[in-house]
Amino acid sequence: MKAVLLPFLARFLARPQSLIGLCVFIAIVAVALAAPLLFPKGPFAIVGMPLLAPGTNGLPAGSDVLGRDMLVGLAYGARVSLLVGISSTCCAVGAGVLLGAVAGYYGGVVDDVLMRVTEFFQIIPAFVLLMVLVAFVQPSLASTVIGIALITWPQVARVVRGEFLALRTREFVEAARLVGESDMSIIFRQILPNALPPIVVIGSMMVGSAILTESALSFLGLGDPDLMSWGSMIGASRSAMWVAWWTTVLPGVAIMVTVLALNFIGDGLNEALSPRRRQ
Amino acid sequence: MTLHRRGVLGGMALAPFLPGHAAAARGNVLNAMMPAEPGTLCYPLLNTRLVQEICGNIQESLLLLDWDFKPRPNLAKSFTVTPDGLVYTFHLEPDVRWHDGAPFTARDVVFSCDKMLRQLNPRSRNAFNNCESIRALDALTVQFRLKQPFNAFLLSLMASNAPIMPAHIYEGTDFRTNPHNVRPIGTGPFKFARWERGQYIRLTRNKDYWRAGYPKIDDVYFRVCPTPEQRMVALETGAVDIALADDIDTVVSKRLRANPNIVASTRGYEGVGEIQVFEMNQRRWPFSDRRFRQAFMHALDRDFIVKAINFGQGKVATGPIPSSAPYYDPKVLTRYPYDPARARALLDEMGLKKRRGGVRHRFGFLMIPDGGGVQTRGAQYARQAAAEVGLDIELQSSDWATFAQRTGNWDFDMDNNSYGEYGDPAIGTSRFFVSANIRKGVPQSNIQGYRNRQVDALFASASTAIDPKAAQADYSRLQQILTRDVAMLWIFERDPMLYYNKRVHDLVSGPNGPTDGFGRTWLAT
Amino acid sequence: MNRAAYIARRLLRTVLVTVAVVLVSFFLIRLAPGDAATVMAGQSGYADEALIQSLRAEYGLDQPLPVQLWKYVSAVARGDLGRSYERRQPVLDIILERLPNTLLLDGFALAVALAGGIALGALAARRPGSAGDAGVTALAMLFYAVPQFWLGMMAVLVFSVWLAVLPPFGIETMGADYTGLMRIADVARHMILPGMTLALYYMASYARLTRTQMIEVSGQDFVRTARAKGLSERQVARRHVLRNALIPIITYAGLQASILVGGTVLVENVFSWPGVGTLAYEAVTARDNPLLLGIFIVTAVLVSLFNLFTDIAYSIADPRVQLQ
Repeated sequence: MKAVLLPFLARFLARPQSLIGLCVFIAIVAVALAAPLLFPKGPFAIVGMPLLAPGTNGLPAGSDVLGRDMLVGLAYGARVSLLVGISSTCCAVGAGVLLGAVAGYYGGVVDDVLMRVTEFFQIIPAFVLLMVLVAFVQPSLASTVIGIALITWPQVARVVRGEFLALRTREFVEAARLVGESDMSIIFRQILPNALPPIVVIGSMMVGSAILTESALSFLGLGDPDLMSWGSMIGASRSAMWVAWWTTVLPGVAIMVTVLALNFIGDGLNEALSPRRRQ
Repeated sequence: MTLHRRGVLGGMALAPFLPGHAAAARGNVLNAMMPAEPGTLCYPLLNTRLVQEICGNIQESLLLLDWDFKPRPNLAKSFTVTPDGLVYTFHLEPDVRWHDGAPFTARDVVFSCDKMLRQLNPRSRNAFNNCESIRALDALTVQFRLKQPFNAFLLSLMASNAPIMPAHIYEGTDFRTNPHNVRPIGTGPFKFARWERGQYIRLTRNKDYWRAGYPKIDDVYFRVCPTPEQRMVALETGAVDIALADDIDTVVSKRLRANPNIVASTRGYEGVGEIQVFEMNQRRWPFSDRRFRQAFMHALDRDFIVKAINFGQGKVATGPIPSSAPYYDPKVLTRYPYDPARARALLDEMGLKKRRGGVRHRFGFLMIPDGGGVQTRGAQYARQAAAEVGLDIELQSSDWATFAQRTGNWDFDMDNNSYGEYGDPAIGTSRFFVSANIRKGVPQSNIQGYRNRQVDALFASASTAIDPKAAQADYSRLQQILTRDVAMLWIFERDPMLYYNKRVHDLVSGPNGPTDGFGRTWLAT
Repeated sequence: MNRAAYIARRLLRTVLVTVAVVLVSFFLIRLAPGDAATVMAGQSGYADEALIQSLRAEYGLDQPLPVQLWKYVSAVARGDLGRSYERRQPVLDIILERLPNTLLLDGFALAVALAGGIALGALAARRPGSAGDAGVTALAMLFYAVPQFWLGMMAVLVFSVWLAVLPPFGIETMGADYTGLMRIADVARHMILPGMTLALYYMASYARLTRTQMIEVSGQDFVRTARAKGLSERQVARRHVLRNALIPIITYAGLQASILVGGTVLVENVFSWPGVGTLAYEAVTARDNPLLLGIFIVTAVLVSLFNLFTDIAYSIADPRVQLQ
């Protein structure tokens, strides 16, 4: 294991972008984790009059339309973004791997059905579907996560299915079958580990796009109203933008930096894991 | 050729789009806006503020409201009331014609009030179900005979309650599918001209308008402007002349008020008398306990709500009747100043002690959908204020379907809402407090489940009193009881702001403001 | 496979998927609490039972669910998408009225994205590792990570609020009522900000894709042969490398066009662009189910047909491609 991991790490960290991405990401995670310790009163506490410019009244990032500290909001927003990004990706990858594996391994009717389902998701306007799901169930953290997972799992399923289709006829699988290993065991212990690299890469990219999707939902007012998220900060300041630029500029920069860091990491993983390099 | 075209495009791209340039078709044309297109222009079918504002130019009512809330003649040039308050006789303006040339007569009034409005519009039903008969005495005289005295009857004949519709167009047809619902016919100063879907509704001057010398404007446009930012820019650039009540977010009011070309005014919505409120489901504990509601009021700094959240627009509400409306009695009100210590003491007293984590009670707050506007911000403030006294609120956002469904079926702890008094408590206010209006499945009724026999009796006797002093006495007593009970959490009186270009004059001529139409409005050149 | 048979099979599949779209969205939408009648009652600020009942009857919501479904499906089969609750107009009319605006915006964005993306990608691929390459790659990464709605707002802030050179909202100048060339110029001016906002994201992905494709292709044998024949570097890049690298890019763009059709909700919302995206958002918030279902169906059919069309065009352009 070590023998595989160390060179991989070396390859990954050799790219400066990956290193930068990783550092920024760790910093954002740290802020997200530390937010309740740094700002125990929470992001909704009103600290003064609304729309104070950055630097006034001891507010480094100014105040928003309700007189809340923008800095605190930005820190707490990181929690929502990361939570939604990571958990919805986990759900999507979990479902996608399971269904993609079964479809790719068994083929036939199961595969046909899965392909039609993914086709359905390709054809229907995904973001509209997501709005419907979240709005009709009632916007909350859970509905956002499940909604995003629901519209993104087919991507994973397609990739996994492709890998399984290619791998199921390879010798090591045949050998396992001859030995009498169960299907489950072959899927999860033989094929899956070999199909892992593309899954890791697509997963890392999905976290970033899930964060973008969450921010878009919150921007439209379809986020959890009990949580301060970057998207909802922008959405709540749409009119305020004309009189107080910081209310929209700062949360947007936060989203951009986070997604950029994640994409750098994803790129690095892709390079480090790509089969040509592995050979 | 190519060069030439590039010249045109290049010039366009660089032309400053901001001041002046946008409104090419100014002239004697008034440009208003609408946030969304209405589903119909059949006034009784869709009695929303937007339809009132558009159709207020097309259809007219028998009476208008004066600044002192007294009825003023309109289609009815005079009226008499019998001393027992039971028979109202209206003499109609002669020589009034519908936009298609047909004469306007008593038949139209009887048809509108007795049939069409009563069938379609719940607000009109409230008034006309009180009538024993509605009859035409002759072509220009209409008589309403009431079952019992109803002293708000004249007020319920104002435009938003009782627009007079053309009988010759609607009688005997299916009101909901009548083709004239999208090209309405009225007697008003402006005729419907064109509905360019997705862009505008255009009204044009009624040359044969019965009131000589009016209207002063050639055309009125209502232009679609879906987002608040777009509406603000349209107003600033002069592309649009007026922004009505909800068109502009209060966040930018300071910016607009600083603009020398724009006039900002709060006059014109007194007739609605809108109060923003929090409602509590009083079937559930602890909302059923008056002390809880009092404590909640003391926990709120409503001055802060007005000053910071609504950017100084409006004033703190003191009770069920708006301070600018008749029957308001400041002497009898129990007031709830911001006093968190008092709030905590009240909660302690009722046994709602702090448990682990400093929380006394946890409950939901269903937010009315207003696109992140002042209501949403108010709810977010309320959560913070409640947390200060140990109450943990979970905000629940909703769309209109969810909000109407959950409040109508009493499936909520607390919500925010607003109501209009419409000039008389019997029209707009009593419906939220009388027990007869506790009706499951119906939103915007007494969804709180507030029950008080004395209040029921007082509302009944107040609205049937013939002597205004007796009515005042009843309404004073009601204000005393309702504020003592905190029958509802009155937050602030909204005073919506009307913004208009300084070239617009006489935009508003009474407390019903823009819903009375632009018949008297003129534009400086 | 025979092309006609292929087209027939694809059309059949399109119909099946559309039926699935109808069924799934019908039930999905009915799961939500509340209906259009309560919405209208709640919004008018004054309601009673009679109003709600008459609205339910008008919309047919008082009938059992299977009946509603049957009526809806059979109407759709006849090409009738029903009437919008809120607008009381035929759904198809409403959508067809907005669709050209969205297609215009999408078409512009896609053209800009393809042209810009391919040009930038080709530039970057000429000298991998150079400053130009690094710049293009960095820009691509940046626009890939920016929330589209926020980019739009920033564009408004810079070009409309601060510089005041471009109109921020709408499709044409309100009240100007231009005609002819002036109108075209006016719409074009209004299209710049939303169109570029939409284009930059896709341009980023096309640039990245072009770059990798070109680097990969230029390592292949036929390119080396061309170079050996003494063709100039420029000719090689244009005639051999780019042309071959373009094929996967066009395929990819074809797939993305489908996303564009339904995916302009945010940009249209920010710029008040009167397209299908804003319509979808309004339909969601107003719980206008027939309109929402109609949007799903129309976009699904449009996307299917578009995919089919690109597949066929592709097979004609490149006979080596097998239709399957």
